[in-house]
Amino acid sequence: MTPNRHGSAVIEFPNDLEIVLTREFDAPIELVFDVLTKPEHVRKWFAPYGEEVKVCSIDLRVGGDYHIVFMTDDGTECSFRGTYLEVEPPTRTVQTWLFDGWPGVEAVESTELHEARGVTKLTHRLAFRDKAGRDHMYKTDGLDASYDNVEDLLRSLHQALSPGAQGEGPAIG
Amino acid sequence: MARSSTTSDVFNAIGDARRREVLDALIEGEKAVGEIVRDLSMSQPQVSKHLRVLSEVGLVRRRAEGRRRLYRLEPARLRPLHEWLAKYEQAWNDRLDRMDDYLQELQQQGERQ
Repeated sequence: MTPNRHGSAVIEFPNDLEIVLTREFDAPIELVFDVLTKPEHVRKWFAPYGEEVKVCSIDLRVGGDYHIVFMTDDGTECSFRGTYLEVEPPTRTVQTWLFDGWPGVEAVESTELHEARGVTKLTHRLAFRDKAGRDHMYKTDGLDASYDNVEDLLRSLHQALSPGAQGEGPAIG
Repeated sequence: MARSSTTSDVFNAIGDARRREVLDALIEGEKAVGEIVRDLSMSQPQVSKHLRVLSEVGLVRRRAEGRRRLYRLEPARLRPLHEWLAKYEQAWNDRLDRMDDYLQELQQQGERQ
């Protein structure tokens, strides 16, 4: 039994428009691809804090649409939808990404899988069409901070800070 | 562009690369404006302007020592940023941990069959 990999996602902000997340799973690539793209599987993990997934339709082919809705504990519906641009099982999908909570924000999401020695690495990339879109992740207007700089700054100042989280979080999709 | 909010929001205050340099310059400790000017090869008016914005959001604090004005960092004011990142990371990890557990479950089921 290998130790679990909980909490091991690496999140990077390589430039002004993208957010890239990587994470490894102890499972074969075909199974990971299915879990990422089949509705009966997606329902089990999509909502970030285990909320109920109310809608989960996925038409996995180029030009096909997906629509996923989950309900937060306070009753807010979070609806994500888009259209598949590339579908290459079991290694890659590229799809548009729209979150109903942020009208006007458009992104292209890509999911890439790579298996080595029984471990499948997921690289999830969200590329916003424009900077204003990605800045929504902060829930503030007119921001031109770049995340990687923010991260560096936080790292250098980390000793003076204590972790903690209150209030409304960013949308996850 | 909501430029006016620069003065009220930590996120916006550090949105400027030069202001982040000013903050970095203060990591080592308290400094007078002149020292920051020398460290960063920025003009005095520029440095003063950035320090004013940073003071307004509380990221730096000023005190007088004789005729010198000394600035120091208030890193605790960066907490909103830290919290934001922590929360984002947490939400993603929670989701992917659940996916991880589910994958293990599916594989165990597969082995039993």
